[in-house]
Amino acid sequence: MDFARGESDEIIAETIGRFAADELRPRLREFEAARTVGESVRERFAALGFEALDIAEEAGGAGLGLLARVRTNRLLAEADAGAALALDRFAPAIYVIEAFGGVEPLKSLGMNLGQSDLRFALVTDPGAGDVAGVRVAGHVAWIPAAPADVLVGLGPQGAWVLKDGFAFEPVRGAALHAAGASAVRFDGTPILAWHDPMRAARALARIRIYYASLIWGVLSDAAGFSRSYALDRVAFGKPIAHHQALAFLIVDMYVAVARLGLLIEDAAMAIDAGEGRAVGAAAAAFVDAIEASRFVGPNGVQILGGHGFMRDFPVEKAMRDCRALGLLAGGCDSAREDAGAGLAATISERIAA
Amino acid sequence: MNKFSAALNVHIEQVREWGQREVRPAGLEADRNGAPLPPDHPYFAGYVDFRRRHPGPVDDGAVPEGPAVRMAAINEENAYWDRGMGVAAPGPGLPAPIVAAAGTPEQREHFLGPFRGSEIPRWGSFALTEPSGGSDTTAFRTRATRTDRGFLLNGAKCFIGNAARADWVLVQANLDPDKGRSGQRSFFVERGNRGMTGIKVENKMGLRAYESVSFILEDCEVPRDNILGGERPEQTSRSSAYGATMGTLNTTRVGVAASAVGLARSAYDEALNFAKQSGAFRSIRVRDRLEAMHRQLRAAWLMTLRAAWKADSRIPNIVDASMAKVFAAETAQDLASAGMEIVGLEAGAGHHLVEKLFRDAKALNIVEGTGQIQRIIMARHLVGLPR
Ligand SMILES: Cc1cc2nc3c(=O)[nH]c(=O)nc-3n(C[C@H](O)[C@H](O)[C@H](O)COP(=O)(O)OP(=O)(O)OC[C@H]3O[C@@H](n4cnc5c(N)ncnc54)[C@H](O)[C@@H]3O)c2cc1C
Repeated sequence: MDFARGESDEIIAETIGRFAADELRPRLREFEAARTVGESVRERFAALGFEALDIAEEAGGAGLGLLARVRTNRLLAEADAGAALALDRFAPAIYVIEAFGGVEPLKSLGMNLGQSDLRFALVTDPGAGDVAGVRVAGHVAWIPAAPADVLVGLGPQGAWVLKDGFAFEPVRGAALHAAGASAVRFDGTPILAWHDPMRAARALARIRIYYASLIWGVLSDAAGFSRSYALDRVAFGKPIAHHQALAFLIVDMYVAVARLGLLIEDAAMAIDAGEGRAVGAAAAAFVDAIEASRFVGPNGVQILGGHGFMRDFPVEKAMRDCRALGLLAGGCDSAREDAGAGLAATISERIAA
Repeated sequence: MNKFSAALNVHIEQVREWGQREVRPAGLEADRNGAPLPPDHPYFAGYVDFRRRHPGPVDDGAVPEGPAVRMAAINEENAYWDRGMGVAAPGPGLPAPIVAAAGTPEQREHFLGPFRGSEIPRWGSFALTEPSGGSDTTAFRTRATRTDRGFLLNGAKCFIGNAARADWVLVQANLDPDKGRSGQRSFFVERGNRGMTGIKVENKMGLRAYESVSFILEDCEVPRDNILGGERPEQTSRSSAYGATMGTLNTTRVGVAASAVGLARSAYDEALNFAKQSGAFRSIRVRDRLEAMHRQLRAAWLMTLRAAWKADSRIPNIVDASMAKVFAAETAQDLASAGMEIVGLEAGAGHHLVEKLFRDAKALNIVEGTGQIQRIIMARHLVGLPR
């Protein structure tokens, strides 16, 4: 049992935290309006060397594992979750390829992540799982992404990869605008396709933790921002934070963020260690992220009163961003289903043992 | 207990027909534009005409329900189609009952008269909230000082509905700070007054169909006749501006609760229709959620109706009204959020009504007394929470 962070974790946190505070946070409304973070910010982020943080070294990534990724995501999303997505050209789509084929297929396709400019995007396709050579077709109403070069589809049975035969159409988007907002239509022949429900579940687990960690960042900021506001704002002769009705609310929001962080890190560690409980733990953490969003998101706005409802403050954006993130990766109900199934598996394993 | 009379249903039906045909599309247009419809938009002239033809239930005995239940029924239906457009509707708005209760006969005629039978859209507006605080009405900093000709107002107001298009804004200011909040009075600031400056239409998360305006009052001169209730309010009944204002907010609380229920019902219907069309309704998880949403919605509506009925029956309803306001506002938020989940990626795409409802709903737990303030009011009555 050790909750301490290593020296390299601290260095990453320090570097990413500074980047997020200096480069992302001050410009969040600008990115939102432009629907991109722009090339120069992307280049500066790439220069830090954390782009493919958790991708295997053989594929050109840094190979630091999912735990490092979730901590990074949290810090980036504390500044702007849309920007965090925009800055990541690979994940979470790349997790699917890694889960099914390892990095070999990427290399054989000439995709060395460290050297290419390719952008990957992910869609959910319930029909995924057919073998290569069979056409795949469908339409996805929204993903928080700008047009990409490689489209990856994941379903409960398997996955596919398209290099062409898909089109991105810009949509309004409910939130996360810095990442772009697109509907995706695909109709093409995959360059890679797999059928393997176990691997599909493992890929989905990583994806859920990826999005959950962004929610963690958003909620951590909403809770922190509203707490500082409540300490400054005075009503009825004292800081509003010192009225018990808000003091306890602030405390409960802090607890919700803390428990979420623990569940996410726990699931990320289980995934990194290849533990059998990882799939269920990841699903449960994602459910927790969505439930925490329902509580912390609107209350971040509530604590600021009328000001919270105005776009001059980041809490309204946080409320929209966390709500939207919870719609991804198949949404809440399927995660709840998998979390329950994971529990059943753990019980049967225990009985078997 | 909870059925409306046929006579009231006729009025609700008129609002429904108008809402579906005009209000919903206008609300969506404003939301898409990210700005309220301009005052000369044909919608508003159409609204004035609709109101002339269908003035709604009045106290003539034709509708057996009392005024609070009638207001709840009409507000609920209005907000079902678009809460923002409801606030944007031409008329004297929230200050009307305050002016009616506390204004002098001349003021009632001068400021409310033009609204009667007006063929052009006109708005009134009510400015209470200040940048430094809204809940704590004792801390308002806007000051009024006497001059030879009337009063000078200095201060700032924020988030004021329809203030940039209103014929007049009823502004709360303290004329006698030594008296604390009982020194507060209300002043009519008429359109074009050069002392009302720095007018900024706020950029809101939701309810974008009506303007919420912040402005500064800088040596803003108002004539002597523009102080609500006249210079010496003791001579008129209920004319302490503070008392009239707070009395009005107590009654409109039920109206806000009803609007929240209307918005919540809209979110529920969107989720239900989507679930049926997409086949998601077959999932037990989705049905469970819809059942919980429906139950919460029903409870919120019954709570609101009971608070209104108590008001009409002259039974003290402070706890009921606050309970309805906070529970209905939170219901609206919960149902819009759950609706987003059921609709899923279509909601994420930002085109679906439920996504707009999610952004609109939050304000209802903030305006006209936040959820915390409602709980404090209830706690004072239920457990004697000290002031
Ligand atoms: C869309 C919109 C439209 C509006 N329209 C109008 C309008 O037309 N006219 C007008 O005058 N105003 C209007 N308002 C302002 C609204 O009435 C205020 O926002 C509201 O009263 C809260 O005040 P505040 O924003 O200053 O928040 P604050 O009073 O600063 O409150 C901040 C937070 O502290 C909490 N709080 C405060 N005191 C306590 C306490 N004692 N115990 C526990 N918690 C406490 C509040 O609940 C809130 O969560 C509008 C606001 C919005 C969002």
